[in-house]
Amino acid sequence: MNAPKRIFALSIASAIIATACAVPPAAPPPAAEATRPADPVGKIEGQAEQVAAAAVMTAMPPKPGGSAARAIELAKKYAGVTLNVTWEAGLQSQDPLLFSAPEFERLTGVKINVIETPFTELFSKAVADHQAGGGAYDVLNFAPTWLADLADGGVLEPLDAYIEQHMDKNDLSDLHSTYAKYQQWKGKTFGLWDDGDVFVMYYRRDWFEDAKNKEDFKAKYNRDLAPPKTWQEWDEVCSFFTERGKANNEYGCAIQRTAGNTYLWFYEQFRSNGGRFFDADMKAAINSDIGVKTLTDMVNANKHMPPGIEKWGFVEVLQAWMDGKLGMIITWPPIGRWSEGYGLESKQLEWVPKTKVAGKVGYAVSPGGHSELAVGFMLGVSSNSKNKEAAYAFIQWLTSPEISGQRVKIPFALRDPYRMSHFNDPEYAKLWPNAAEYLKVLQEGAATGLADLGIPGAREYEEALDRAITAAYAGTDPKAALDKAAEEWNAITERIGVESQKAAYEDWQKRLGANAYP
Amino acid sequence: MTLRPHARKGRHSGKYALVAPATMMILCIALFPLLYSVVVSFQNIDVRTPVGTFVGLKNYFDVLRDARFWNALGNTALIMTVCVTAELVLGFILAQTLIGPLPGKRFITPLLILPVVIAPLIVGYTWRMLWDTQYGPISQVLGWIAGRPVEIVWLANPATVWPAIFITEIWQWTPFMFLVLLAGLAAINPEYREAAEIDGASSWQVLRFVTLPLVWPVMAVAILFRALDAFKVFDIVFALTNGGPGTMTETVSLYAYSVGFRNFRISYMAALTLILIAIVSVAITVLWRRMSANQERMA
Repeated sequence: MNAPKRIFALSIASAIIATACAVPPAAPPPAAEATRPADPVGKIEGQAEQVAAAAVMTAMPPKPGGSAARAIELAKKYAGVTLNVTWEAGLQSQDPLLFSAPEFERLTGVKINVIETPFTELFSKAVADHQAGGGAYDVLNFAPTWLADLADGGVLEPLDAYIEQHMDKNDLSDLHSTYAKYQQWKGKTFGLWDDGDVFVMYYRRDWFEDAKNKEDFKAKYNRDLAPPKTWQEWDEVCSFFTERGKANNEYGCAIQRTAGNTYLWFYEQFRSNGGRFFDADMKAAINSDIGVKTLTDMVNANKHMPPGIEKWGFVEVLQAWMDGKLGMIITWPPIGRWSEGYGLESKQLEWVPKTKVAGKVGYAVSPGGHSELAVGFMLGVSSNSKNKEAAYAFIQWLTSPEISGQRVKIPFALRDPYRMSHFNDPEYAKLWPNAAEYLKVLQEGAATGLADLGIPGAREYEEALDRAITAAYAGTDPKAALDKAAEEWNAITERIGVESQKAAYEDWQKRLGANAYP
Repeated sequence: MTLRPHARKGRHSGKYALVAPATMMILCIALFPLLYSVVVSFQNIDVRTPVGTFVGLKNYFDVLRDARFWNALGNTALIMTVCVTAELVLGFILAQTLIGPLPGKRFITPLLILPVVIAPLIVGYTWRMLWDTQYGPISQVLGWIAGRPVEIVWLANPATVWPAIFITEIWQWTPFMFLVLLAGLAAINPEYREAAEIDGASSWQVLRFVTLPLVWPVMAVAILFRALDAFKVFDIVFALTNGGPGTMTETVSLYAYSVGFRNFRISYMAALTLILIAIVSVAITVLWRRMSANQERMA
């Protein structure tokens, strides 16, 4: 057993002993107790440098008449008010806790109470609060695919009147046109875009440029070794590198396959292959020939990935990639920054493995030419909020070009570029040697990317598909697995209403255009 | 002394006043939610319909036609049957072993009960690491024995996922059985066994005709407790597999959680859980009657 494995085994044993000796943890606190006030700037032990870096950025006065400045003026009317803001727990929350919330309070006197919530509960807690008539939250963080459900359920407040009155309209056109398409539902704006999540294919440039690799690949496949443009090329390159490096625990590629998010890679590959989610009668079409081929290819691709890939999530892929063990991965943007070591010295990113691939990474959109616009985040105002205008002011300020431009550069913030001003930011382009190339790929990914299915019941559709995919990874026939998922999709559609779903699906296709189907 | 009627009435009023707070508390926190969930189960409340309308028995019929529900119920029954049986056998063997004189007994007993004091979610996540294909110690140890890398995806392979869940569950809950049965065995008067042995009974006969009948009342309660607990198993399966691959290991608690708190189909979840309550009530009644009959027979 090599040293890391020995350490791992020992740590497991230690953890068991330590845990066994510990008092069992109390039940999770109720929502109200889980909240905690934002820590004031500079009072968080060991984080002064990061916070200082952030503070230097905010020291720039906002552009007069811009959205940020107008939001500040609007919020000043509510000085002393506390806004309850939901945010994904953990690393995601470090942005509001350390930067956005203290800064907004300093500028306006409005206190921000960050309520850290696990990702999946961002939806259920918001709905539960609304249905109970609670008003526990003022600002809601949510995934764009939930917008239809949250808007139809009356959880979100329409924002058009606020935008009309308070936003600098130039800032709307600064938003990348793809992300701008998401903000509306049934003709009303219910959220402001806040995170340019798009899959990126990261590849080891040094592996691709290696003379021996090039020669051998050419001899085997009769074409040049290059970052794959199609899924077939992806498989070939992946298997080539795996055959070459497996003895050294190196693999050609890895994609997280564990339950929960694996449907995103199906969404991407399925539509790049020409697949459609529903037919003209709103019957599920994921079990079409294209769907079966896509899933079969995904299952077969696992053979070239590291053993146990079926249980690999984001962190496992990250670990192996940063350790230099993988030739290609397809995942979210932060890995691009972390691969180059950007911000890894900060306390918040201490858990991220040290990079062994800095300076060796290339970026591209996914094979097929379309990356999944995977998940992302939006900000909205709760319809039950007692301080809607102040809540709106906060999200307008957060998403304004100036403030969001700073947030996407904070190492520990997990918000990624989504405005043209972000993509064209010369400061961002200088953050590491090939940051400009990274930004270019993110922008290309946004332009040609494929949006997650965003109609009512989106979560249920996703979960049904996800179950089918993991069943196929475990040996279920892909056709049988997808037939079962299609049955579930049809049941969901019928329960919500075939006609209303059909209208929503048509609206989604119309709004997203080539970002729905290329 | 005889109390006059109004004095007696006053004394009764005092009693009622004393029990009223506790009664009200129970009504508020137990009975009201239960009754309210019955009301909700006849409606159609979900994420898009905060104010439900009456839909009669639709949710109940939908649950009974729901293949995923029956699959989850079958999985739950499987966990309950396999794990409680194994825990009972192992717990009894351990208790029998440790009831007699044994060197180091004072240290072994506390060590054996450690798993039961750990929160099941932590147990689940710890064992998830242990079962890890690439870095997990289980694969490592097996690799040493086999003399080559063992690359079994324990938690995503249909052939190994159930054993992995069973082992984890049994590891955590066998100590509970052990503790209860140890207490039961300790309460048996040793003279009964000594008398049987003087009469020439073999060890097996002592166990079969003396120990088991005497420990049975305690054992029955332990089985009932564990069976009820195993029926609502959530944490360990959630941490290990989250019901996957697909719905292969999904339990009814996981399914109810998914329906209610992820998809927010509140009325459907209410109907589902009420059906579960009905099933559990019937099962427990039958089980209890059989156990009682068994006890009478053994006595």
